[in-house]
Amino acid sequence: MSSNPYQPKRAPSGRFLPPDPRVHEPHRLTPQLALRVAILGVVALVTFAVLFFRLWSLQVLSGDEHLSAAQDNQLRLVRVEAPRGPILDRRGRVVVSNVAGTAVQLWVGDMPKEGRYELVQRLASVLNVPPRALAREVEDRRGDPLSPITVKTSVGEDQVNYLYEHQAEFPGVEIVQIYLRDYAYAALAAQILGYTGEISPEELKRLRQDGYRGGDRIGKAGIESAYDSYLRGRAGLAQIRVDSLGRPQSPLELRQEARPGYALRLTLDMRLQRAAEEALAYGIDLAHQNKKWAANGGAIVALDPRDGAVLAMASAPTYKPSVYVGRVDPKKLEPLLDEEVARRANYPGLNRALAGLYPPGSTWKPVTALAGMQEHVFSPYESLRCTPFATYGLDRQEFRNWNPYVNRLMTLPEALAESCDTYFYEIGNRFYEGGSESRGGMQQWARRFGFGGATGLDIGGEADGLLPTPEWRRKTFESDWDRAWNPGDSIQLAIGQKDLLVTPLQLTAFYAMLANGGSIVTPHLVSDVEQPGGKGSPRVVLRRFAPRPLQPSGVDPAALSAVRDGLYLATHSVTGTSSGVFSNYSVPISGKTGTAEKVVPLPGYPSDHLEDQSWWCGWGPSDAARLVVCALIENGGHGSSAAAPAALRLFERYFGVKAPPTVVVDTD
Amino acid sequence: MIELAQQPRIHTASGRAEAAPIAFVRRLDWILLATAFALVGYGLWVIAGITRYDVPGDESYYVVRQGVAAAIGIAGLFVAAVVPVDLARRHWQLVYGATLGLMIVVFVAAETIRGSKRWIDLGFIQFQPSELGKVLFVLAIAGFLVDRAGRVTRWRTIFTAIGLGAAPILLVFLQPDLGTALVYSAALFAVLFFVGVRWRQLLALVAIGVIGVSSVLWLLPGAGIQVLKPYQAARLTLDPGADPGGITYNLNQSITAVGSGGLTGRGVVEASQTRLDYLPEHATDFAFASLAEQRGFVGSAILLLLYLLVVWRGLRVVTVAGDLYGAVVAGGLVFAFLFQIFVNVGMTMGVAPVTGIPLPFVTVGGSSMVANLVLIGVLQGIHARGELAARRPS
Repeated sequence: MSSNPYQPKRAPSGRFLPPDPRVHEPHRLTPQLALRVAILGVVALVTFAVLFFRLWSLQVLSGDEHLSAAQDNQLRLVRVEAPRGPILDRRGRVVVSNVAGTAVQLWVGDMPKEGRYELVQRLASVLNVPPRALAREVEDRRGDPLSPITVKTSVGEDQVNYLYEHQAEFPGVEIVQIYLRDYAYAALAAQILGYTGEISPEELKRLRQDGYRGGDRIGKAGIESAYDSYLRGRAGLAQIRVDSLGRPQSPLELRQEARPGYALRLTLDMRLQRAAEEALAYGIDLAHQNKKWAANGGAIVALDPRDGAVLAMASAPTYKPSVYVGRVDPKKLEPLLDEEVARRANYPGLNRALAGLYPPGSTWKPVTALAGMQEHVFSPYESLRCTPFATYGLDRQEFRNWNPYVNRLMTLPEALAESCDTYFYEIGNRFYEGGSESRGGMQQWARRFGFGGATGLDIGGEADGLLPTPEWRRKTFESDWDRAWNPGDSIQLAIGQKDLLVTPLQLTAFYAMLANGGSIVTPHLVSDVEQPGGKGSPRVVLRRFAPRPLQPSGVDPAALSAVRDGLYLATHSVTGTSSGVFSNYSVPISGKTGTAEKVVPLPGYPSDHLEDQSWWCGWGPSDAARLVVCALIENGGHGSSAAAPAALRLFERYFGVKAPPTVVVDTD
Repeated sequence: MIELAQQPRIHTASGRAEAAPIAFVRRLDWILLATAFALVGYGLWVIAGITRYDVPGDESYYVVRQGVAAAIGIAGLFVAAVVPVDLARRHWQLVYGATLGLMIVVFVAAETIRGSKRWIDLGFIQFQPSELGKVLFVLAIAGFLVDRAGRVTRWRTIFTAIGLGAAPILLVFLQPDLGTALVYSAALFAVLFFVGVRWRQLLALVAIGVIGVSSVLWLLPGAGIQVLKPYQAARLTLDPGADPGGITYNLNQSITAVGSGGLTGRGVVEASQTRLDYLPEHATDFAFASLAEQRGFVGSAILLLLYLLVVWRGLRVVTVAGDLYGAVVAGGLVFAFLFQIFVNVGMTMGVAPVTGIPLPFVTVGGSSMVANLVLIGVLQGIHARGELAARRPS
């Protein structure tokens, strides 16, 4: 039925009989088939030759290379986190320390290629974290398989047990022991201490050469950030054998011990700090009692006027730094991160002592007085009339005194004691009248006293404030009207109003200068870095941050003495603005009230609504100052009724002497 | 040229029938049989090392299963040798139907494992029809062509054969099992090659194939039509950029495993790529890399030499075959075997595309073991009958 296709084609001719269909022609190996078998044989030989050569080249020629690659494959170097150094107060009380916690980390490189998203979802539901954010982070980290994602810190015991029991279902998930920051004083000094968090990609880019790595925790604000290099210590290195799912196959083998972070000793006194924070609450409460319902924040700074050491620095409202630790609750972080929520909560993350800007009001008058005397604009014992109002300028603008019932001659100490506005209007006007040179004279002294720029506090974050000058006006404004420096600018500046803005810290530093006899201090918060002493071994100070030497201010002692007399009278004379608070206190205190008008947008009021900022700044003991205090109650009304009583609380705690009941009178 | 062709002889049904069973056994290819048994034994020893740590608490879990499969397979070998292969030619339609049926059953009954439907759960074992289908496929297509032996040089016959072959190939491809589909295609080409299709026709077919492959890989995707899944395309083109996490990971780990074996291997205990699971699928698709890591160049070379022996004896069977059908079947099977070895072993070393096909006699999997032993059995039958026919006086 069939013929062999390999049979050569014969030319059809009549010389042969056609094949007999009954005869079955047997199969035989034709040369053509044999050729094809031979070809396949050659193909087979070539194929095997290729395989052998490749095998030889991989195994024998470059075998060592691959062997070390295979060995490296299974070794993973793990950074062993160093315990962060503690933060101590000036008496060695532990303010911030570490507690052990459990964290869950995810190594993206060890996650399975397929079903990643399911794994992320399962992990997120076990740990109760938002799955979408985690998935995004996993996506971001794909190119960097060597640093883990910290999914969650401070994981509960049952979650840890669940993950251990179902380890095979969570490839790439690792449970590690970490250190968590523990805040012994809860919310005290929150804004100063700052907080820690996982290093951000931007920080990492900047700090990689300093030894920071992905997944490190880093100080994000305040002391934790400014002194991070001392606190963080140095991470150790450990080696571990893992299988392809990241499951450890051997115990951690320490290659390099972690060096714990050093301790940081602050100048803060936590007892005084607590007094300051309580005093703020008390001051706000007093303001509410005086129907100043808008009072909702404030700041208190207490310095040692002899060296500038910050003994207490409080800012209200505040928050608990622990919201950044461990189980981070987005709701609790909202007031710190979300602009809208922060506004409603009145910015608890803001350190008002450094970065809050306020008009100083009458607490500025000593600046005006000193500058006026130095510039010979007036003499301290020149008597000027204190009147209910004064008129200046071509347009006969009226400038009112806070006290409409006074009309007598006053010297500078008296004017300071009673905080007579018209006295200082006159000085301000004289600065204006002195010509264009003279119009910036007061500001030059103010700048020398530390206003208009950072005081140099070691944790940074300070606001500059605003020291208005004729040049500033020219540079800042567009219209000729606004660009002109008018008599009103000089006159209002003399009582610390209009454009002038200061921080509580600047004002405190200035009062420290008054208190210590004319030397400018640099406020500082950290006194040294030390190796914490263990049981029996003493602490070793590794680096002392000596306070910056006091700088002479160049103020004439006679002028200073007149101002100091005035501030003593202000707390002790019958008409002194805060005599009701301080005159009966056994430690002599000198100080000045301030009631500064500030535009505060409040719901239901016009946009230019003014609220009184309640100030008090002063020191004690009057002639041998050891403590200088500035208190500010936002929207707290008169200085004497909210800030002064709050400041008294600090003196009471500092000197350990309670004051007799105070008489609070509404004065400037 | 080997001049084995002798005078034409006339086949007669009569003969010394009583001596036939002994004569038959004596005319088996004993070298091929010994090689196959050596491969089974060597494969079992190799897989014992590879899978020692795969099932915690049971070091010999896979070896025992492989051993059972080998026993079944050896029985299958003898059955396949005894059953006259010509039966398959005469009923090639039935064989073809069975091949197609198996592929369709896979679609209906198979569960999806690792994204593809290849295995039928028979309760006690997982049956992978495409392995046995490989043998049936060759038998059926060869049957079709040999029936039309006088007309195989006609394009009509060639394209009908390709059309017949395309159906099971497509079904395997859709499982999806790209690797096995390639093996089937190679077998189809080999059958055409040995049945006597002319050189220029073969050349034309190769040209069509090259155009087809390149259009599937580059031209159609360029026009927006995706025939292959992206991972398949990436594997075929060995494009490291296409899937940095997946495919090059496997390939790099495999190359590292092979290379780290060195001359004599790292041993079972020290072979970390296998033991710590860095090498994916080390008991199946990447078994060769695992072998290379554990037993080194020496151990891998032994396996390759055994394979080469099988190919050599297989090609010899082509020449010994008593009829064209036997020669074509033997040729198709041997080429499919060679192709499968090259693709699998080459894949682990980065010289062939990454496709998931089993390594004969080594890879864990009963279906593959049985199918390859049946393949040897078919070759044995062809050999013995060919020898008998040659010795038979006319």
